[in-house]
Amino acid sequence: MGKLIASIKKEFLLLTSDKIGLLLMYLMPVFLVFVITIVQDSTFKLVNENSIEILVVNNDQGTLGNDLVEILQRSGSFKITKSKNLSEEKIKHILLSDDQILAIEISKNFTYELTTKAKSISREILEEFGVLDSDTIVQENQKNSPLNIYYDPILQENFRLSIVNSVYSFLGAIENKLMIEKLYTEMGFDNIPKSLEANFTANRIQINQISASKFSNKAMPNSTQHNVPAWSIFAMFFMIISLGGNIVKERLNGSFVRLQTIPSSFLIALISKVFIYLIVALTQLTVIFLLGMYFFPNIGLPSLSLPSNLVGLVVISILSGLAAISFAMLVGTYAKTVEQASGFGAITIIIFAAIGGVWVPSFVMPEYLQNIGEISPLHWSLEGFYALFLRGGEWNLLLPSILFLIFFIFVCQILIYLKLKIQNYI
Amino acid sequence: MKEVIEINSISKIYKRSTEKSLSNISFSIEKGDKIAILGPNGAGKTTLISIICGIIDSSEGEINFKIDDKEVNLKSMLFKIGYVPQDFSFYEELSPFQNLMYFGSLYSIPKNKLKSKAKNLLTVLGLSHVINKKIKKFSGGMKRRVNLAIGIINDPELLFLDEPTVGVDVQSKNAIISYLEELNANGTTIIYTSHHLNEAQEFCNRVVLLDQGELIENNSLSTLLSEHNELSLESLFLKLTGKAYRD
Repeated sequence: MGKLIASIKKEFLLLTSDKIGLLLMYLMPVFLVFVITIVQDSTFKLVNENSIEILVVNNDQGTLGNDLVEILQRSGSFKITKSKNLSEEKIKHILLSDDQILAIEISKNFTYELTTKAKSISREILEEFGVLDSDTIVQENQKNSPLNIYYDPILQENFRLSIVNSVYSFLGAIENKLMIEKLYTEMGFDNIPKSLEANFTANRIQINQISASKFSNKAMPNSTQHNVPAWSIFAMFFMIISLGGNIVKERLNGSFVRLQTIPSSFLIALISKVFIYLIVALTQLTVIFLLGMYFFPNIGLPSLSLPSNLVGLVVISILSGLAAISFAMLVGTYAKTVEQASGFGAITIIIFAAIGGVWVPSFVMPEYLQNIGEISPLHWSLEGFYALFLRGGEWNLLLPSILFLIFFIFVCQILIYLKLKIQNYI
Repeated sequence: MKEVIEINSISKIYKRSTEKSLSNISFSIEKGDKIAILGPNGAGKTTLISIICGIIDSSEGEINFKIDDKEVNLKSMLFKIGYVPQDFSFYEELSPFQNLMYFGSLYSIPKNKLKSKAKNLLTVLGLSHVINKKIKKFSGGMKRRVNLAIGIINDPELLFLDEPTVGVDVQSKNAIISYLEELNANGTTIIYTSHHLNEAQEFCNRVVLLDQGELIENNSLSTLLSEHNELSLESLFLKLTGKAYRD
């Protein structure tokens, strides 16, 4: 026991001997989680809180162009700058040089195109109902696109597509209204009733979003609940640079060799490393979680809600920490230089994070990549934390993560043992 | 004198090598010996010491350790063995005192005894003024002395030193050798490798000379000098190993 305490003390002294390094081990994860959460939260707010700036060039010679602009404005999703008669070159120039990232050009025949289309469809419907004769229907093909959307090339595709879809939905409302109007007029009525007209835009069906979580408080998942666990795991696995390098240094400087000539088990040296770095990993998580709970709300971010299954949280945290430590020790044991350990280790963690779903959710990846991602310890740590933070944290949801992480730790330790055995350390 | 180590037909071939690094080496070490294992670069000195200390395995042969004429295994001997490797095998981020406390604890030395022993050792080796300073700022000579201090923290009966004075100034070398003399006078058997032949001539009573993995001499220094009609170890060394480079 005295040997183990001495080894733990030595590891503690080594860790604390580099005060700046130790501080960075805590500050960098906190900084990472802050930045990512703020960025993700900003994106969420950008889409949902009226802050996407759009240049609308309305060249329409009819009235529907104005209707579209009005609907876009009323939606509350966009800040609109209106303009007229700008050439394609001028619009592109504005997008590349100004703060605008998106422009909608409403063509001069916008009203004509939409009206023609509505007329054509409404006549087709009436013909189906037998109200009109088929020989009175005139097929009119749409010749030009009535709407052009220009975008800054830096705009990410998913973001652009979400805006385009949003514009489509508003355009759909106008088209529907127009079609009903045409149906009314074709059927001999003068005008569509005012109350019905208002309903097209005002009384859209509300979509109730319900998370499939078993949380009793029914808190909606938010950027904090998603990002704090995900990026905490990512940061925790980055201890590979410190621990992996530390092991390589001990091997290279002969400290391990000296241990072979001392009546002490080599396992004591390894256990003491695991113990100290597990404390580091758990305190990293604790610091980040506490900041998420108490500090994030002060800077306008959603607060982190701890899962109800706190024992599960401790189990997943410890297993994730042990997985990170085991992998760092494995790399440190096999690497021949500190540079190898740091370089290989860091890149591997980034790849593990990418295929493990830390950056983008696993379900959006191709199936083969999802399958490969299942070898990533970060994937299972993340699944465990998501089960806790977002899905209610029942043990049956945690079990796959627990089993895989134990398996991963076991495999790493076996490989470490074999290497040390070959090198005569054990 | 009592035999403490018997080295029987030790050979070593490293992985991915076809040549023997050591070939059929046999000799014995007796209690109180001061043995210099000498030889040109690549002769197999470090390999031999590493095999005796259990750091690497031999390909052939065996090492027998004896306590009071009874054979014991290496594990039982580890409490009585001190090893000072050629490299600085300690934690440079820690102080010499912290290093000694750590390595000393692994020998299960009681804490209070270990503290006073560590302080005493560092004082004797001229490191009392830097007892709590980080080693990474030390000179080469100071690091060598820390390396030695760690190797003898357990008061070893058998002390193995792999080039303990390489790259140090005369003062540090003098301090190290003086302390080794003192240890030997108190009963510690010393086995060391060195390229400093004058130092070895002054310090050792026996010479084991290796060349290209083979044992070419094993005798007391005085016998060797008279047998080969040489006045110094250096001239004897050159006579037996030649003047060609061994890089």
